Amino acid sequence: MRLSRRALLGSAIAAPTLARAQGGDPYVLGTLFPLSGPNAEYGKVFTEGVQLAMQHAEAERMLRRPLRLQAEDTQALPQQAVVGMTKLVNVDRANYVMVGFTAVSKAVAPIGDRSKTVMVNGGAVGPDLAGLSPYFWNTIPLAHLETREMLPFMMRRNLKRVALVYVDDPLGDAILGIFRNDLPRAGGELVGSFSIPRTAQQFGPVAARIRQTRPDTVYIASFGAQQGQIIKGLRDNGVSVPLTSYSAMNLESIRNLAEAEGLLFTSQQTDFASGDELTRRYATDFKARFGSDPGTYNTNYYNATRLFCLLAGKLERENKEVNGDTLRAALLEQKEFDLVGGRATFDEQGSMTAAIQINEVRGGRVNVVTG
Amino acid sequence: MTAYLANLATLAAIFGILAATLNVAVGYAGIFSVAHAVFFGLGAYAGAQLALLVVPDALLAMVVAALVAGGLSLCLALPALRVRGEYFVAASLGLQMMATTLFTEAKGLTGGMGGLVGIPRPMILGVEVPTLALALTALVLILLATWLMARGSFGRTLRAIRDAESAAEALGKNINAAKALAVAFACAGAGVAGALFALHMSFVNVESFTLDQSVLIMAMVIVGGTGTLWGPLLGAVLLLSLPAGLSFLPFIPPTEIGAVQQILYGAAMTLLMIFRPAGLLGDMRTGRKA
Repeated sequence: MRLSRRALLGSAIAAPTLARAQGGDPYVLGTLFPLSGPNAEYGKVFTEGVQLAMQHAEAERMLRRPLRLQAEDTQALPQQAVVGMTKLVNVDRANYVMVGFTAVSKAVAPIGDRSKTVMVNGGAVGPDLAGLSPYFWNTIPLAHLETREMLPFMMRRNLKRVALVYVDDPLGDAILGIFRNDLPRAGGELVGSFSIPRTAQQFGPVAARIRQTRPDTVYIASFGAQQGQIIKGLRDNGVSVPLTSYSAMNLESIRNLAEAEGLLFTSQQTDFASGDELTRRYATDFKARFGSDPGTYNTNYYNATRLFCLLAGKLERENKEVNGDTLRAALLEQKEFDLVGGRATFDEQGSMTAAIQINEVRGGRVNVVTG
Repeated sequence: MTAYLANLATLAAIFGILAATLNVAVGYAGIFSVAHAVFFGLGAYAGAQLALLVVPDALLAMVVAALVAGGLSLCLALPALRVRGEYFVAASLGLQMMATTLFTEAKGLTGGMGGLVGIPRPMILGVEVPTLALALTALVLILLATWLMARGSFGRTLRAIRDAESAAEALGKNINAAKALAVAFACAGAGVAGALFALHMSFVNVESFTLDQSVLIMAMVIVGGTGTLWGPLLGAVLLLSLPAGLSFLPFIPPTEIGAVQQILYGAAMTLLMIFRPAGLLGDMRTGRKA
């Protein structure tokens, strides 16, 4: 949480100034992130991505009208999200709302659908988020797509006997389905699957059962503060095989966890060192502003914000109004966009597909293992 | 702005029902349940499934929800008949934790963690009606029933049980029947609130029916004043409108709103318990130690 409060405070104070620098009423970018409670770390990470994208958009003069960030705290809970979304739509007249977390996304989707407000998810990866509404888009490859990409890598690393620890929700169910159906076809074996409640914090018994299955790797399908507890619980209870997971692991708290050393996880492809100019500038400016390397979620919400700027800029050039319908039409017309990490493609439901890479946590840093 | 205020008022009315009904158990009968969200959830799932599978009729949904939640209130009444005080709190805590797990696992009925999506808007005789009107009507009826109950012999029996259960029993009061009725009324009311919540939100999942929610409802009752008619309603309005109101204060950076809310929440609760230990509308004599 270093720097967070000060950085967020500074940018929030600066936002109105930036808004006055350009003409006209600002476009209101709403966010429905957890800014307090056990998932507040995600809200901070998500918001950083949005703030940097707004900074770049202002600097590049991508839009004729300024941008204004309007944040609402959801605590990652559906009820608070509905209150926040109603305010964003009816009071703040938000042009574009960014959301995270599955329950929050599902709770606000009907409101956005009725008001024809575009909602973009860059954090939740449950496969049931595809097609929630024509105005609900995803700038994150949904989890089942990531997991499929992990299978060939596991086989190459000889991690063929897989034990799965999963939260009993749509995300966990989808990943369980992939391991049951696709893993044998890839040449591996699911030697055990262990469902855990979302609120579980003790993993000693699960670790003991995992050890009995003698796996080559343990795949973790969870999210939030529980991820670190699972990793620590497994290591403390003698599970020493490599741990594998998906992009939810790309958090500072996980990177700094000693027990996470050697953790392998998928994320969308982002080559910060030798990628395209947009990606390199993003990585450099992110580090300059926030003092750390960007993670997957920073990137997803940067991309979500940039996507709005690209679409609204296109509509401005065509002298069209910027609203939910025109934004959707512009998205479906173009479908491919240059975003951080490379070219991203959106399908008819507004879900993004992108190349996936495998990462490894070493010495508190995330290193790309393979693209 | 009107739609936003209407949404807040709808939630305040729904939570007003929850707080008012919990107050019957806590404030009048002295049954300190931390499982009210369980019956809220039962009503929500019952109302949602009825709307999804049969017909989105709001009145029918509320009746079914009340029957399901009131019927299953035996789960709470049974321990209430055997233990009291802190032992009952522990028993209701167990029920809350068990129910949360059941809501997560019974995917066929509840949708599990993924919840139930696409719940239709409330209708009466085929005409869509605003949830606010329904919630306010239900709230008024429940407050009226509570007022009538509190004035009658049943209310006096409940207060006697709360203040001195053994003495009430010695005077010939049917303790078990009175407790079971009080719990059934409270739980049926929570079921009605649940049905309204599901129809209003169009989406429900287990995250709305956890221990945190039960504690929030309990806080509404305590902040407003236990054993009073209007106190729980005031508590519900206050605890729901405080975060909403704070988000309008221009000097709080929007990204800091979460942390500021939590600090103010904590400070307000602490100050309240110092200066108004019996709640905002509670009897000051009952809150302090002699």
